Amino acid sequence: MSGQADVLTEGRVKRGDAGDGAPLGARVSRIDGMAKIRGAATYALEHRPAEMAHAVLVGSTIAAGKLRRLLDTSAAAAPGVRLILTADTMPDLRPVTNWLGVRGDKPYRALTHTITFQGQHIAAVVADTLEQATEAARLLKAEYDIAPAIADLDDSKVGPGTEVDAVAMAWGDADAALEAAPVKLQQEYATPREYNVPIEPHGLIAAWEGADRLTVWEPSQWIAFMTRTYAELFDLPFENVRLISPYIGGGFGSKAFVYPYGAIAAQAAKQLGRPVKLAVTRPQTFTAFGGRAETRQKVALGATRDGKLLAIRHRGLNETSVTDTWVERCGEVAALMYATPNFSSKHRVVPVNTVTPSALRAPGENPSAWAIESAIDELAYEVGLDPLEIRLRNYADHDHHADKPWSTRQLREAFAAGAERFGWSKRNPAPRSMRNGHHLIGWGVAAGMYPMRRTAGQAMVRILGDGGVEVVSAAIDMGQGTYTILAQTAAEALGVPVERVTVRLGDSTLPLAPVAGGSQLAGLMTGAVHKAALAARDELIGLGLNDPKSPFRDRQANTLPVADGRINGMEFGAFLQALGRDRIECLRDTFAENGISSDDPFKNYATITTMRAPTDGEVSVHSWCAHFIEVKVDEDFGTVRVSRVVSALDCGRIYNPKLAESQWKGGIIMGIGQALLEEGIVDPRNGRVINNNLGDYLIATNADIPEIEVISVGVPDPHASVLGGKGVGELPIVGVAPAIANAVFHATGKRIRDLPITLEKLIG
Amino acid sequence: MSDSMLSLSLEINGQRRVLEVEPRVTLLDALREHLGLTGTKKGCDQGQCGACTVHVDGQRVLACLTLAAQVEGRAVATIEGLGERALHPVQAAFLENDAFQCGYCTPGQIMSAVACIREGHAGSDDEIREYMSGNLCRCGAYPNIVAAIRQAAEASR
Amino acid sequence: MRNFNYLRAQTVDEAQRAAAQAGAMLLAGGTTLLDLAKCGVTAPETVVDITHLQGLDTIAYDNGGVTIGALAKMSTVAADRGIRDRYSAVSEALWQAASAQLRNMATIGGNLMQRTRCPYFRDPASFSACNKRNPGSGCAAIGGVTRNHAILGTSDTCIATNPGDLAVALVALDAEVILGARRVPADDFFLLPGATPEREHAIEPGEIITAIRIPESSTARNSTYLKVRDRQSYEFAAASAAVAMDLDADGLTVRDIRVALGGVATKPWRAHAVEAALKGKKLSREAIDQAAALATEGAVVQGDNRYKLALAPRVVARAIINLKLRGIA
Repeated sequence: MSGQADVLTEGRVKRGDAGDGAPLGARVSRIDGMAKIRGAATYALEHRPAEMAHAVLVGSTIAAGKLRRLLDTSAAAAPGVRLILTADTMPDLRPVTNWLGVRGDKPYRALTHTITFQGQHIAAVVADTLEQATEAARLLKAEYDIAPAIADLDDSKVGPGTEVDAVAMAWGDADAALEAAPVKLQQEYATPREYNVPIEPHGLIAAWEGADRLTVWEPSQWIAFMTRTYAELFDLPFENVRLISPYIGGGFGSKAFVYPYGAIAAQAAKQLGRPVKLAVTRPQTFTAFGGRAETRQKVALGATRDGKLLAIRHRGLNETSVTDTWVERCGEVAALMYATPNFSSKHRVVPVNTVTPSALRAPGENPSAWAIESAIDELAYEVGLDPLEIRLRNYADHDHHADKPWSTRQLREAFAAGAERFGWSKRNPAPRSMRNGHHLIGWGVAAGMYPMRRTAGQAMVRILGDGGVEVVSAAIDMGQGTYTILAQTAAEALGVPVERVTVRLGDSTLPLAPVAGGSQLAGLMTGAVHKAALAARDELIGLGLNDPKSPFRDRQANTLPVADGRINGMEFGAFLQALGRDRIECLRDTFAENGISSDDPFKNYATITTMRAPTDGEVSVHSWCAHFIEVKVDEDFGTVRVSRVVSALDCGRIYNPKLAESQWKGGIIMGIGQALLEEGIVDPRNGRVINNNLGDYLIATNADIPEIEVISVGVPDPHASVLGGKGVGELPIVGVAPAIANAVFHATGKRIRDLPITLEKLIG
Repeated sequence: MSDSMLSLSLEINGQRRVLEVEPRVTLLDALREHLGLTGTKKGCDQGQCGACTVHVDGQRVLACLTLAAQVEGRAVATIEGLGERALHPVQAAFLENDAFQCGYCTPGQIMSAVACIREGHAGSDDEIREYMSGNLCRCGAYPNIVAAIRQAAEASR
Repeated sequence: MRNFNYLRAQTVDEAQRAAAQAGAMLLAGGTTLLDLAKCGVTAPETVVDITHLQGLDTIAYDNGGVTIGALAKMSTVAADRGIRDRYSAVSEALWQAASAQLRNMATIGGNLMQRTRCPYFRDPASFSACNKRNPGSGCAAIGGVTRNHAILGTSDTCIATNPGDLAVALVALDAEVILGARRVPADDFFLLPGATPEREHAIEPGEIITAIRIPESSTARNSTYLKVRDRQSYEFAAASAAVAMDLDADGLTVRDIRVALGGVATKPWRAHAVEAALKGKKLSREAIDQAAALATEGAVVQGDNRYKLALAPRVVARAIINLKLRGIA
């Protein structure tokens, strides 16, 4: 612990004599825990403004064509119905700015006659009660002019798509090296459509005050962006929109944007002059916004007979919608995980009639690892090497793509620690060599990585008249533990017990913050809070030394000790009272530390254009991990059960191991679901996601998950963040699916290259 | 279509609550929309996630597939009624073991866990896993949930 | 869902009269009625709550067997000592079904009446063609996504799988469904779709299930229910088997055997051919596998469900082996 403290103090942070037993790095229980375990945390749809009406969406039953007309013979007249918004009645809203900061010039149409995917919103029915709105929505029927639809990537009408040049990567001559390689391997790997499935479904409550002030209660991973979107849609100043999101029931990438139903709800509220709650039903969450796109990758490896890579040739593609482009970049892990003198990766996007895919935990890296970590495993068997050994043999000692050293890369340590705890050395290399009764047992390993994203942040820290400390930010907590680690950060900098710190988050009236995405929030917000808290501490000391009312004014000193909530032995509260002040307040940002211009801070919070690349600067900064997984496969049924997991992860310095471990386990569990269960299934005749509910789209249950052991092998990385931590949240899902597939191969001798690994693929 | 309304007298967390609702109103919506008890969560409204778990006459059930009318004359317990003065041991164990992250499935997990222990289905980790599988958690708090229930079950023995 | 009138029946008589009205549906646990009403598959005008009927939830043992009241909860029956000991397939089928919460809500009678999980049946808004919902309208499932659909008992009007677990165990144990005065063998209670897929149960308007009766037998005493699915829990069967077996003193020769399949047919599927092949035989691995292969006699693959052809016999074989080992233990 003192080692970590030393990194902190090294020329960057003035510690003075703040208390030992530093809160940051401690296993502090969640400070929002009490509210959550008592059912007292209020989520977006649980607010209850007076006179609230309920909106229910109606979706297209065709995947392509035109909505000719709605037949609302009974819907409009149904009991309690106040308003029906359709493509004909919903006004055009103003264009909005995207996450790259580009504002379109076309009006925003939340409801249109042109249908491009099954489930697209075609109307919203608003009534006094939820039951009335639901039933009236059911009565609304539509007539369509049906056009041929591209149901998915297997559809015969699917085109070749478009190459995404911006993500292509190459060095050396992969084609030639492959051609000449003594050992060659080429395979195709596929991942299906996958969904975020937060247990809190999407939705919002919109309430207007007059014609120009809008309040929105909506779960949000990106307060600044979503507030700005609402403001733009309705041509309001940013300050006239208030987005409130203190609690979010899971996001995993799906709650960072305003979707058309948000515009619809806000418009309905405006027209009705009543607050409107729009709850997206669980089945509707499969089409109201996108999850992870279906991907396909071709990986060719060329190697020596000793298993040294000579070439990697990678070709990837993902489905996108016919209206917008989402790139699920599949080359990232292939480019960085191993050392290879020759590399080529290209990626294209292929339009199909689906809702535009979007972000789901580790977009890009997740499917990328699926392919390369399966391929390298296949190579291991091809050349007769242990799968762990081949990974070590091809260890990349620097970033070959950016040609930069790693800032920190504890991947060897992760392999070593994980292998030791797992007992990997006892592994019999031959497939089908381990069994127990009817179960074939397999052990697999795979690595994962996630880039360090960094954006400037800001935070306000207050010392209050009662001696309490308050941290204030529009940053959010969706379960990653933001409330807690920010309290720990302020507590440490100010030398107060964590219990004395309250944290207010998730409100657009609070100091803005960047998106809780890309696993960046903890690093940037702890840095901002740390800075603001130290500033508050400095101000406290300055007042102590110089303020006319200070009891310590006559000290011949240039500093005063601050510890245990006291300045020079006097309680903060009493001290402020003596000064005649009710608070000290410091707002600080970290633009300077990130080398980002602070000319347009709003751009920093509401776009991703200032987000630093992981290779920004002289080093390449990523988190790393190694997963060791044991599976039991029933030899007759083909059912796969994960029986043991040991994962070792390098996320740099850990601010709160208790919470980080929960994130790690959570990501691993999501990876298990991805590997064995999750798949959006499309009816090829009509483009409908046929399993749009939690009984048919299967996520892991408690019974699917064994004990999971996670080991932290990270060391503080000052390049990654001021306080030394690297990204935590998305890393753990990366590499889990290939580790499981590798284990299944070891168990059965069957290599499955398309997820999920269901019994029907193994039963043979 | 019927326009019938019911006047229901319900016992929620030991308190008598009267409400006028249509017969089609579920217990879940009665709690969340009519009674201001939003601790019970709606995750799917189709009986597939367990987030809406409450107790009726001491048994854990799903409020989304229960009509409000059905529970008249029965005792309904929700998360708000658990550990009103002091934390229930299961709640304390959840906090200590970090058995939640976003917190949305948590009230359902806790109500389910309290009943699971009372049913005698918390005798081993495997039993806990199986008998808690009616409560989905996407954040992946399962191992910590199991640890919390094991701890609370042992304490109760 | 559409609003409805809500009545509480105080007597069985009252329940039967109310149930006979057009547009009336019985509400027991509510897990099927509310689920389907929310999907828009059903739209009752009157919901008759029968959960206050007295005396219909008992588990009564007598010399010949056990009579389980239709309103007994799945969880109560699953945990009942006598059921676990003497009709273990029933107990096992129950505790592996659904979730603990659903088992606390759902009744034995209601469970027998549950409808298919076919996504085309359950989504009237997207698929108007469903002969079950709307006789003569066609079948949207045929030619669609059919990995969970049936390989046995299908017709060209319907390929929907009966998803029940308990029903499979009851069919294997020669149970009877009691509808007041009338008694129907369980196997006859569930109907093949044939040309009338809208008729799933041999129950007339106005009838209610009042109890099930399971005869005591040496096979029932040594019975099991094996359920195989991709997810470890909270999922319907990819394939399941209820097996009840009476072995000779040598623990190897089959005196009597009952086999029924779940998850692969339009109704709980009694595998008579498997039974005939093993009755009187010695349980060698070969004999078991050969007999189990007969479980899918007459099966017709529908699109994506070919794996059930391989899976179902293996589930049968494993269930037999499990019972054989249990006998030895």
